[in-house]
Amino acid sequence: MMAMGTRILTVEDDVRIRTAVRLALEDEGWEVDETASGEEALEAFGRAPSDVVLIDIMLPGVDGFEVCRAIRRTSAVPIVMVTARADTHDVVAGLEAGADDYLTKPFAPKELSARIRALLRRSRSTEAESATMQFEQLEIAPDEGAVRMGGIEVHLTRTEFQLLVELGQQAGRVLSREDLLERVWGYDYFGDGRLVDVHIRRLRTKIEPDPANPRFVVTIRGMGYKLQP
Amino acid sequence: MTDALQHRDDRPAVGLRARISLLFAFGALVVSVVLAGVTLVFARGQLVENREESAAVIAVSNAVRLNNQLTPDTTFEDLPTIIDSLTSLEGSQSLVRLREEWLLPPELGRGDLPGVLAAQVEAGEPGQLRAIVGGRPQVVIGLPLPAFDAAYFEIVDLEGVNDTLGSIRIILLSTGAATTLLGAAIGAWASRRALRPLRRVRSAAEAIAGGRLDTRLERQADPDLDALADSFNGMAAALEARIRRDARFASEVSHELRSPLMTLTTSVGVLEARRDQFSERSRTALDLLSQDLARFSRLVEDLLEISRFDAGAASLEVTDLNLADFIDATLRATHLVGVPVVDPFHGRLVIEADKRRMARVMSNLFVNATRHGGGVAGVVIEADAGTVRIAVEDDGPGVPANERNQVFDRFSRGASAGRRGGDSGAGLGLSLVWEDVRLHGGRVWIEDRPSGAPGARFVVELPQPESMDDEEGRG
Repeated sequence: MMAMGTRILTVEDDVRIRTAVRLALEDEGWEVDETASGEEALEAFGRAPSDVVLIDIMLPGVDGFEVCRAIRRTSAVPIVMVTARADTHDVVAGLEAGADDYLTKPFAPKELSARIRALLRRSRSTEAESATMQFEQLEIAPDEGAVRMGGIEVHLTRTEFQLLVELGQQAGRVLSREDLLERVWGYDYFGDGRLVDVHIRRLRTKIEPDPANPRFVVTIRGMGYKLQP
Repeated sequence: MTDALQHRDDRPAVGLRARISLLFAFGALVVSVVLAGVTLVFARGQLVENREESAAVIAVSNAVRLNNQLTPDTTFEDLPTIIDSLTSLEGSQSLVRLREEWLLPPELGRGDLPGVLAAQVEAGEPGQLRAIVGGRPQVVIGLPLPAFDAAYFEIVDLEGVNDTLGSIRIILLSTGAATTLLGAAIGAWASRRALRPLRRVRSAAEAIAGGRLDTRLERQADPDLDALADSFNGMAAALEARIRRDARFASEVSHELRSPLMTLTTSVGVLEARRDQFSERSRTALDLLSQDLARFSRLVEDLLEISRFDAGAASLEVTDLNLADFIDATLRATHLVGVPVVDPFHGRLVIEADKRRMARVMSNLFVNATRHGGGVAGVVIEADAGTVRIAVEDDGPGVPANERNQVFDRFSRGASAGRRGGDSGAGLGLSLVWEDVRLHGGRVWIEDRPSGAPGARFVVELPQPESMDDEEGRG
């Protein structure tokens, strides 16, 4: 069973929300590590790595962005951020700090488990047998879960990797933000396009020789992105 | 606001600059008139005096010459010849008495001579007198010639000076007019100069109204203007602080409300997962709870959204949207099937808009059409240079012309819509539509359906950058 032994680390300072969220996650058959502050969360993560981390942005002391950045320095674990609003800069800041996805309060347990399931699926999709793709010095090996530039491995998060694989498998074709939101994040049409934009930006800094003038992942205005073979 | 408007009505229609110019012109006019008046009075006195003096000199010399030419044998008949040879000032007339006879000019008689002067001269004393003779101001000079029992009088018209005065008056009048015009011109220039700082105030006020709350006026090292700059900046700072406070309040309220809502939503979700284990009564109660929780969440969400608009804290996240795909997706999200979409661009029109906000706009319009308009009859896409329009048509009774603006007011329900239906919205949907569209710089209105069919047509118009690309020839 997929969910077997799946550990989820939650960081939330409000004990009532924390408890309700734990009940909902446990209903999905997942193990939940509850923490009430950023410091506690980092300590717990260092003790026993989780499969998914759920971080509330508004935390006293070490805030959610900082927790996110600290985890990202050592791990590619999927991270979901919880923000108060969708239209603030918090979302972009959280994604730039390394989050893979976000949710706005109040969210229904169904939404939360759908997001977590999509992230778990992504991090376990390495078994998909796909041929290695080669674009000049860029090599994408889906079966190994590895990306190499001129033979040297590039460290991508699971989301960045999945994004690159989707673009690579359709190389030369334009994929709209909505396409990518559906294929990588499992969203319907109304997913937030900033998820794609921020992840593409981060991907470029890792694989492009000159991220300002991308050679591989190019933007097609009004349409989306494509991988230039 | 109404106060300001009322004050406006009381004010004269003439602008400040025009008023300053008029004031300057009026000042120049008063000064010219006073100067001209003083000049005229003084010039007149001077001219009259001069004329009197020269008249006296000539009269004396004429009398001397007459005296020299008279002999004891001179008869009255000889007089005109002698008189003709005398110098005469323009406008002067001579009267001569020789023994018992008078030589008089045509229009004058002896009676015209002032009696006082005549008596004085007959007594042997020369004299001079200003008098009205023949209805005109004149100076009368009389000299006795006792050697021949004669007297010489000269009457000099003083009105001759009026011609000179007339020319002076014309000159004064034209310089006065020129001065007045110059005054007006200086007034216009000075007022423009003086009001130049007000233009800066105006552009600063416009900047603040446009949302740049940190706009301030620079001090100009001018005590008069700096007072204005200081009070303006004080007002702007107070306004900014207040708006920031409101925005902070909205975000704090938002956080405060979200936390309990979050616990409620998650807990109810946990209960719903166990719905089957509940008794019939508990299930009904749970359904009521979860439905009203959804409604409450939606209301809180809308209220917070509205308060963010009010605080000026709402911002746009503009992306490219394929309009046809977008409309299809919004129809699907609202569970609407088979709604005809008129798209003259065949799915290739790409617009710039905030997807989340426009999705809410469409969803609110669809929900409105479903609740009050008998369902969505169709969606029409139109675009021309610089704008795109999305029209949602319904099959309802339409909206009367006088209610079309109120429909977008907060918590307004159509007059036809009853009080609280089972799932009737809070009445914020259309006001959010209005705010969202306005945030895009666009507008929304209601019109009749062009086909003449009954029902309303809600039109959302969004401005677009001039160079709109479509997908043709790409990829």
